[in-house]
Amino acid sequence: MIARALRGTTLMTAQRWAGSLALGAAFAACAVSGELGSALLFLFPAALVAAPLLQRRIAGRYQWAWTGLLGLAMIVQGAQVVAGRLDIVLAATQFAVLLAVHRLWHRSSRRDEWFLLLLSLLLICAGAALSAELLFGLCFLLYSVAATWALALTWLRFEIEAARSPEQAAALLQGRRLVTPAVLFALAALALVGLLGSAAIFVAFPRVTLGGLRRASSAIPIAGLGDQIDLSRHGVIADDPRVVLRVRLDPPPAPAAELPMRWRARALEVWTGRGWRARPEGWGGGTWLPPLPRLRLAAARRHAAPLVADIEAVSGFSDGVVLTPEGWPTGITFQRPLAARASATRLLRAANGDLFYTPVDVGDLHYVVRTERALPEPDELRGRGTRYPPEVAASLEVPADVDPRVRSLSQRLTEGKDPVDAAAAVERWLIQSLAYTRELPGEQKDPIAHFLFESRRGHCELFSSAMVVLLRVASIPARNVTGYYGGVRSSAGYWAVRAGDAHSWVEVYLPGAGFVPFDPTPPSGRGGVDRGVWSAVVLAWDGLAQRWRALVVDYDLVSQQRTLQQIGRTLGEAGRRLTAARPGAPEFRAAAARAGAGALSIALLVVLLRRARRRARPKVARLDPDQRRAQALWRRARDRLERGGVSLTAAVSPREAIRRTVQRRPDAAPAVEQLAFAVLAARWGGERLPAARARALLRELRRDLH
Amino acid sequence: MNPAAPAALPARAVPAWRRRLTFTRLGRWYVALTIGIGLAAINTGNNLLFLVLGLLLSSIVVSGLLSETSLRGVRVTRRLPASASVGAPALVGLVARNGKARSPSVGLELREKGGDVAGHGLVLLLGAGQTEEVSYRFTAERRGLHRFEQLEVATRAPFGLFEKSRPLPLPAELVVFPRRVAAPAQQPRQLAREGERATGRAGHGLEVHALRDHRSGEDARSIHWRSSARAGKLIGIDREQERRRQVCVVLDQRRASGPLLEAAVEQAAALFERELDAGADVSLAVCGDRLAPGSGERHRLAGLTLLALLEGAADAPAPVPDSGASVLEVIP
Repeated sequence: MIARALRGTTLMTAQRWAGSLALGAAFAACAVSGELGSALLFLFPAALVAAPLLQRRIAGRYQWAWTGLLGLAMIVQGAQVVAGRLDIVLAATQFAVLLAVHRLWHRSSRRDEWFLLLLSLLLICAGAALSAELLFGLCFLLYSVAATWALALTWLRFEIEAARSPEQAAALLQGRRLVTPAVLFALAALALVGLLGSAAIFVAFPRVTLGGLRRASSAIPIAGLGDQIDLSRHGVIADDPRVVLRVRLDPPPAPAAELPMRWRARALEVWTGRGWRARPEGWGGGTWLPPLPRLRLAAARRHAAPLVADIEAVSGFSDGVVLTPEGWPTGITFQRPLAARASATRLLRAANGDLFYTPVDVGDLHYVVRTERALPEPDELRGRGTRYPPEVAASLEVPADVDPRVRSLSQRLTEGKDPVDAAAAVERWLIQSLAYTRELPGEQKDPIAHFLFESRRGHCELFSSAMVVLLRVASIPARNVTGYYGGVRSSAGYWAVRAGDAHSWVEVYLPGAGFVPFDPTPPSGRGGVDRGVWSAVVLAWDGLAQRWRALVVDYDLVSQQRTLQQIGRTLGEAGRRLTAARPGAPEFRAAAARAGAGALSIALLVVLLRRARRRARPKVARLDPDQRRAQALWRRARDRLERGGVSLTAAVSPREAIRRTVQRRPDAAPAVEQLAFAVLAARWGGERLPAARARALLRELRRDLH
Repeated sequence: MNPAAPAALPARAVPAWRRRLTFTRLGRWYVALTIGIGLAAINTGNNLLFLVLGLLLSSIVVSGLLSETSLRGVRVTRRLPASASVGAPALVGLVARNGKARSPSVGLELREKGGDVAGHGLVLLLGAGQTEEVSYRFTAERRGLHRFEQLEVATRAPFGLFEKSRPLPLPAELVVFPRRVAAPAQQPRQLAREGERATGRAGHGLEVHALRDHRSGEDARSIHWRSSARAGKLIGIDREQERRRQVCVVLDQRRASGPLLEAAVEQAAALFERELDAGADVSLAVCGDRLAPGSGERHRLAGLTLLALLEGAADAPAPVPDSGASVLEVIP
């Protein structure tokens, strides 16, 4: 098959396949949004594959059924759009896919081919409206090449059909002479030129947004990032390398392969007997961030350590929850990209202080969190008493059927200690006494007691749950917190927090400082451990996706201004460095000279190679200068004669040319005769033809022709 | 080439920049969609729509550059048929030459523009420096002079969105001969002797005119061997000059016009050609014009051209037949 493809295929086949490929790429660009629906996801590929095989049996038949089906689809979708249950862009896309399926089955005429290409263009536009993922970019790349093939080959096919007799056209269309691999490569190169032009237009086109009719935001209700923990699950915790957060930190952390930082999601305070769940009070916290507690404020004044985290929460993971770096969040700003589906994002705070956003779009969320990380010294935290405010009551609730061994252990670890020291003692004991494992314990009557006294090994949720129970038994408010721990450095310059970095830790309420984090899980068990090839591939893909998003999807007027300024600055700087006597200018000039010399060498090499190839070809004859001059003279004379009304082709001999000149332009016949004989004598008779003589002959001919 | 047709006039110089750009039907849709997508992109600020818009716009630019490359450096000449008759298809050749050193020309349509003749040909691919000839069929519906004015070189390459064309003034003329019909079963009114007859002068006929001494250097076939044997020296033969049968086709078109005149002209042409084919020296006599007796291909073309350009002439003098020639008169 490959050999056959390399030999070339028929124009007819290539044209149909190119059209199908363009349509398939456009459909895939829509499908990556995940909004098309499973029926169409099955129907379209089936039609694309089966239509070429069954088309002869089906084409043109059952038109009434197709018309009825399309009519019905239009009515149903129209009704859904009017009722507000279906987005109009999605409805139009689904209908376009149905039309494409119909045309794929009944593809017979010129009109069908053009219509399919038109539909593919509409589908790629729909894909642009539905999805902003990197996969769309890949589909777009494929589409641009396939659509170039399809457009050029469809034009060629119908041009031939229009200009030639049916027999001649059939011979050309079914022959393998026209569509060779070289032609397909040339067209692909054309597509790449088009893509370069597209990139240039993309960068330079003024980003002025009218903001008129826009696609409605497809918001979904807030569900929350896992509002409960079940400690009785079976199996082993699998590592998931998918990226959840892309983070850029200011100030940047110390250079390291991994980031030792917790990303807080939610606090789960209510014991269920098998695990934890969130408090059901709802959004009692308002839309503002609480001020820093007194001790934290004092610590911040002493040694301010604010951290600004630029966070991209990847769609499908954050689930309505605003993840914040460890510390006390003092400001959150949502970035609003100039995209079709952008809508104002609002912050919501739950009664327990958890942060959420609304509406929850299907796209990624970009926001900046400012956090104050300075903590009071332990001495400051001691002696603050055990009188807690009413809002932490939920963090003091002790499970009803706590194992006596747990009470005993709690007493042993916390008795007589200040709450901050008690929390530190419990944390230390858990880290040092118990082992970490990714194996889940399965169904247990009392998972905490089983973990502490029987298995003595467990995962992060068991460690944090045990610490919370041990502290609550000692009347110290504590709660279980979920989120992520860690982050790996990406080649695109951000820290990637992955789904496998999911983690659980503890927050202990200390008067004057609010909830303070403690992490009883041994350091080796915090965050993800997957360092395999798949993890690297996922990270690399995410790096590409992030670049795509940064360079293409979020390119706006500000980015455009910066880009153009940067180009201007770069050119200006290069010019200055080349001309001015500034420090570093000689080095720059030397580098530029080296680059120029390199480019020149490559060009020279190309020229030499081409010349060598030309010389390697079999030569017909080597002409001497007079013969070459005669040839050139005759070529120019022929051009003159053609312009003078004497029809000549390359195949016409000088003698024949004289005859024709006598007929057509007798006034120029003597000059032509003189020139033709001089040419013949020099070309074949060994006579000399000096350049001056050649010029004179041509001059004479020109004069006579005028 | 039709020798009776006037020579093609020299082509006027056409400025290199002179182009005509028109949208194809597909191109109109394409541009409308591009504008629509552009508006949608500006309205929504969706960068991916800007990307699609960029692709569509750059395809237009690439299309324009390639079509320009295809048209540049292409020279076209027309090759008219040697003869053309009413109702009989004739081939008109269009010879395209790509004068560029490197780039090929793709999808060139060569078509007649202006003038009396419509026709076109398609050159799919014309490599650098190559020449290719395409032809179109032309079936004339009337006799007489047909004028060609311009040749237009057009291309819709590479996508068929736009048509860019370049006019090339290339005037020419073609005389279309009368329709070929069966000659009427009409015989010459004054029958001359069948075959060739002697003129009484030396020439190149078959009959012997005289015997004389053989001259050195003469063809050995001119030696009369029997007389040479008798005389003891080489005797050469002078042959009789022979004159061929002479026929004059006479057409008095003074009272004819319209279909009647056309039918008469077609009959005269048929008789003229029949007699030529039969080996006679044929002359033509029409009102106000005549063609001297003659034979051969050139004479045939001259006679047919005269008949092709013949018009009704109510006040013209009567035709004058050749004296001594058998007369074939066509009465409209």
